Amino acid sequence: MTLHEHLGRLDAARELRGYQTQPAQMRAAGPGKVGELRLGFSMRHGRSVLHDLYRVAPLLVQQALYWDEAMPELPICAIISVGGGILQGDRYRIEISVGEGACALVNSQSANRIHQMDANYASQHQTIKVDAGAYLEYLPDFTIPYRGSRFINQTEITVAPDATLLYGEMVLAGRKHHHAEERFGFDLLSMAVAVRRPDGRKLFAEKLLAGRDDGMIDFAAVMRGFDAFANVMCITPVETASRIKERFETNFGTDSPRAISGVSRLPNGAGLMLRVVGVESYDVRSEVRRFWRIVREEARGRTLPEEVLWR
Amino acid sequence: MPRDDAPPRVAPHDMVHLGRLLQLSDSTLPVGSFAFSNGLESALQTGVVTNPADLQQYVELMLRQAARMDGVAMLHAHRAAVAGDHGAILHADAELMCRRVGEEQQMMLARMGRKYAELVLKITPCPPLGLWLRDIKADATPGCFPVGQAIALAHLGADEVEAFVMHQYGVASMLLSAALRLMRIDHMDTQRILFAVQGRAQDDYLAVRDLTLEEMASFAPVFDVLVAHHTTTHVRLFMN
Repeated sequence: MTLHEHLGRLDAARELRGYQTQPAQMRAAGPGKVGELRLGFSMRHGRSVLHDLYRVAPLLVQQALYWDEAMPELPICAIISVGGGILQGDRYRIEISVGEGACALVNSQSANRIHQMDANYASQHQTIKVDAGAYLEYLPDFTIPYRGSRFINQTEITVAPDATLLYGEMVLAGRKHHHAEERFGFDLLSMAVAVRRPDGRKLFAEKLLAGRDDGMIDFAAVMRGFDAFANVMCITPVETASRIKERFETNFGTDSPRAISGVSRLPNGAGLMLRVVGVESYDVRSEVRRFWRIVREEARGRTLPEEVLWR
Repeated sequence: MPRDDAPPRVAPHDMVHLGRLLQLSDSTLPVGSFAFSNGLESALQTGVVTNPADLQQYVELMLRQAARMDGVAMLHAHRAAVAGDHGAILHADAELMCRRVGEEQQMMLARMGRKYAELVLKITPCPPLGLWLRDIKADATPGCFPVGQAIALAHLGADEVEAFVMHQYGVASMLLSAALRLMRIDHMDTQRILFAVQGRAQDDYLAVRDLTLEEMASFAPVFDVLVAHHTTTHVRLFMN
């Protein structure tokens, strides 16, 4: 499917029907509004390398670096957005593939800020492919949807039965201290993911759909008392999933906890899902790192280095 | 006194129909719903629900979620059953299960679906349900409860609105009967909540009736953690 077919399908989403006006600035999906990124990792001469890189601003990746002391063979790419955040009318497309036996970590330079909007919306389509025996950690930083923003994200994942993918989505309720109506003040947040085997068999799908008109955001079983959440899925063989689940301790304190978290099994033996809810982004991030460490140790026999100070 | 030539007020067929629908909506229907709390047990243990007001919010949230997930699959399965399209029934079944996170949530969906099919087939012939149960036993379909309900109710002549309301009623009554065993609340309060939350039924139906299976969606992050919490607790009365 071409870039425009993928993004065109998102344009037709029901939840976007009320947001089809053109911005007063550059037109939606016009030149300069469509960011594109393609990253391909593979084994070359016994080493995982970034062999394919295609980018269109505002998305940017420069090169793969090998700075993980606990896993020195791991090529690491940080996605940079030179636009300073996602604006109304922006359309992003990200494609990541990891060839047989290779490994990679893709993260982002900073939080993904989705700016206030008074027209149109922003969309992002991602395709992730992890081949036999390969290992990918794709953990972008927090998404922060500002008040009045509209963002739709669709991620299509294909993972070979013996491969492992760690993919996370972390969301902060907005610029917490900016405005009284900023917390969960976005108009629309729609995030869908589907996981398939290479033969096309669907294993797992999920769509999170939240909007300002829900009226339930402060229900205790939704987000009362918390401002950040994360869903981190680990698509991995069943035996590896069992070992990870065994080691991850559920965290659900009853006395005003900073963060709560737990791991559930995905359907069809697809792997695991870590759910985290927390007060601040760093509360959530530390739970995600706890899971990440276990996943890496069980799937790859490597651990995580200490968190760098500037994170 | 009605005149002899006045038409009967209600066709006898409709009375039987209503009676059967009531029977299949009864909270004592032996499909195993008494064993599940849909996260409520963990919600009480962790203080997410502490009193009747919290409980009402919890039930409302579950109804909203159920409508936008299971309810959508049910409507699709019902339409497929009315059209005699077995393949489309299996498709709705698979799409619902592949959106269910948590082993206990998956077990609730499949165990109740199978029990429901076995029960209905014991009490009345229903060939499309027999076909579906055969596929469950052959591991060809997961056997989600709302899909079984849709097949049986379509066969009994219930329209999709009736089927949807029965499904939603079942979700609320299961939670409230679990609440009676788990927290300090009396039957009056649970009945008051049940009466109140049924006020959602029409809005929920209108919100989801046109959705495709791909559009099944949810948003309840704390509930999602509760689902994971329950599998790791040592003291528990319910299976989820």
